[in-house]
Amino acid sequence: MNLQLEDVSIRRGAFALRCSGTFGAGVHLVSGPVGSGKSTLALLLAGLLTPDSGTVRRSGISSALLSLQFPEHHVTCSTVAEEVRSWGLAPERILAGAGLADRAEDDPLRLSRGELKRLNLACIIARDPDLLLLDEPFSALDCAGKRLACRAIEARKEGITVIFTHERTVLPRIGTLWEMERGALTPRGDVPDAIRRWRHAPPYLEYALEQGARPANIALEDVREALCRIRG
Amino acid sequence: MIQITDLRHRLLDIPALTIGEGCTAVIGPNGSGKTTLLELCAGMEAPEAGSIAIGGRRPSEVRIGWVGEFPDRTMLFSRTFDEIASSLRFRHRPCHEVEACVRRTAETLGIAHLLSAPVRTLSGGEKTLVALAAALADRPEVLVLDEVDSHLDVATCRRVHRTLQDCGVACILWCTQDMDAAATADRVLFLENGAVRHCGAPDEVFALLQETCFYPPIWRVCR
Repeated sequence: MNLQLEDVSIRRGAFALRCSGTFGAGVHLVSGPVGSGKSTLALLLAGLLTPDSGTVRRSGISSALLSLQFPEHHVTCSTVAEEVRSWGLAPERILAGAGLADRAEDDPLRLSRGELKRLNLACIIARDPDLLLLDEPFSALDCAGKRLACRAIEARKEGITVIFTHERTVLPRIGTLWEMERGALTPRGDVPDAIRRWRHAPPYLEYALEQGARPANIALEDVREALCRIRG
Repeated sequence: MIQITDLRHRLLDIPALTIGEGCTAVIGPNGSGKTTLLELCAGMEAPEAGSIAIGGRRPSEVRIGWVGEFPDRTMLFSRTFDEIASSLRFRHRPCHEVEACVRRTAETLGIAHLLSAPVRTLSGGEKTLVALAAALADRPEVLVLDEVDSHLDVATCRRVHRTLQDCGVACILWCTQDMDAAATADRVLFLENGAVRHCGAPDEVFALLQETCFYPPIWRVCR
């Protein structure tokens, strides 16, 4: 199962996206500054944008879902329970898992943005598509919610997961790292080797690398463990 | 100075709280009442019971710069320049002053290249910066920012922080899920289930949160 981009380009006014590469099974992290083209790439991988040139080739992928950056853009129903049913899922289990069991009859737009994000992630991850695209899945979540989302992402056994984010405090363990800058996608390779090539690493990781630590992965636990090893 | 007395509003229950000048980071779990508190302090709503006074006045009588958690929903104009200029134009400031102020604010925030762009073509992070520029342009007395950093990268956040330090606004109330950033505020306010659990200097408040995931990750690796 993979998703291949060959010399893909999209132009929107002064902005141009250029990318090539293969997204295989596993967890990919696409990191990059504001306006670098992460969301445009997410739409492209989801098949919601057609490239001006180049090709996007999917093989062995029979289902794909994209979680949008702003969770309110997903809302289609007037209650939280109906919203879950609209994904073809049973509300009881999903809402219990998302810590929203007592909000079933509320208007989804009365939830806080973090709660709405939790609802959206719970639904989309439960659908377990072959290709799961998550645009800023951690934004607005509190640290407990971010950890929960990381565990759910790490627990996916099959399929391709691509996370587009500039999150700097709570990150899941990943397989492959990519960076976006001014519309250009650069592969940094697989972890752990990719970590020292990460130009815009989060502050805790940047600090550990400066100290000479060699973490096995990018999660805070891995970084603390690597620091313990060198500090003794 | 913001003075809160016997406040009850939705889940919020704050008998007495004084928020001094400087930068206050409001933190807490999702749904703990951070946005509700910020909206009340910004004068978006009147409290159901109790009072909020800013320098002795009601929030609605104070010039407040506000950026909400859904910047997409609060944009009034279709062009970036017009959005940032809106509050100055509503007060009938002369054209040359509006022009100069919008350009200066946009340059400080690094979005001068977006001034003629339609707002709908901007990325989520860029929309947040435009909303922040619009809030800052009219020299507010109080700035209320609801998770403006949740759609910003590390470098942009640092630029925003420098801008806020230099903007000359006496009182900044700002909620965030980035504890590394909250640790740099003058004061941290921790909300839980609508109540103020802790309020004080970052060192004091985070010392009480050391066993939780709210402890700043950078402190976990540095200290």
